[in-house]
Amino acid sequence: MMATAGSATEAKAEAVPEMTFAEVLRANQSMVFSLAYHFLRDPGAAEEVAQDVFLRLHGKINELEDAKHVTFWLRKVTSHRSIDYARKRGSQATVSLEDIAEPSADEPHGDPLLNRRLRHLIAALPEKARMVMVLRYQEDLMPEEISELLDMPVRTVKSHLQRSLGMLREKIDRSMGDIR
Amino acid sequence: MEDFEQQLRNALARKHQPPSFEAKVFAAVAARRSGRSIFWRWAAEAAAVLVIAGGFWVRHTGDVRERAAGEDAKARLQVALRITVTELSKIQKTVRTSTEDE
Repeated sequence: MMATAGSATEAKAEAVPEMTFAEVLRANQSMVFSLAYHFLRDPGAAEEVAQDVFLRLHGKINELEDAKHVTFWLRKVTSHRSIDYARKRGSQATVSLEDIAEPSADEPHGDPLLNRRLRHLIAALPEKARMVMVLRYQEDLMPEEISELLDMPVRTVKSHLQRSLGMLREKIDRSMGDIR
Repeated sequence: MEDFEQQLRNALARKHQPPSFEAKVFAAVAARRSGRSIFWRWAAEAAAVLVIAGGFWVRHTGDVRERAAGEDAKARLQVALRITVTELSKIQKTVRTSTEDE
């Protein structure tokens, strides 16, 4: 995904500003907001993180080579910024997850109750494991791509996925019956 | 397993950002830009004040130096005049003495 230093310089010289900041914002705002929201489970915090990410992008947009590079950069910065936000917030989050109104979403598939329960369980995962799950199932990324975004060995990503899936299945099976 | 993974995809489907999100981002970008322009305006004004103050200082030190040189020249002239007066008095005395002798 990332070019080497030499080729990056060449690519930058050849880069054509295909997309303006407004176009990038419109095309990616849902992705950035959702990554932060599914990780933080707080619409206000997610909006704050997403705004900060786009502000950073505004100062950097000329350095990014193409739409693919922009998406990679946005996912990476949003993931790290969300983890930092959660760490700073620490145990300050006093609002119960059940009390928070969910932002609107197109939920054409699945049982809304089960979806809500799954989101609740994912929110209880440790930070890194939670971000791995969000990137895997919101963005449909492969472990190799997640490893690049989170600067984490592929083996660790796979292990997070396996452990989280096992734990979620067990809890869902216990509380809502077998969904298989 | 695939069904369960599909359930996870459903649960983690992308959400819509609040309707005001885009406007807020543009406002934040504009605020940052104007913050920068305020900084540069302040920096330009500070630089102008420094240049003017520097000019005044250079002019002031030039004036002081000129005044000192003038005072020095005046003092030298006074010394020269005093010497001249003394010498002329001596000459006058000599002339008077010689006239009286005759």
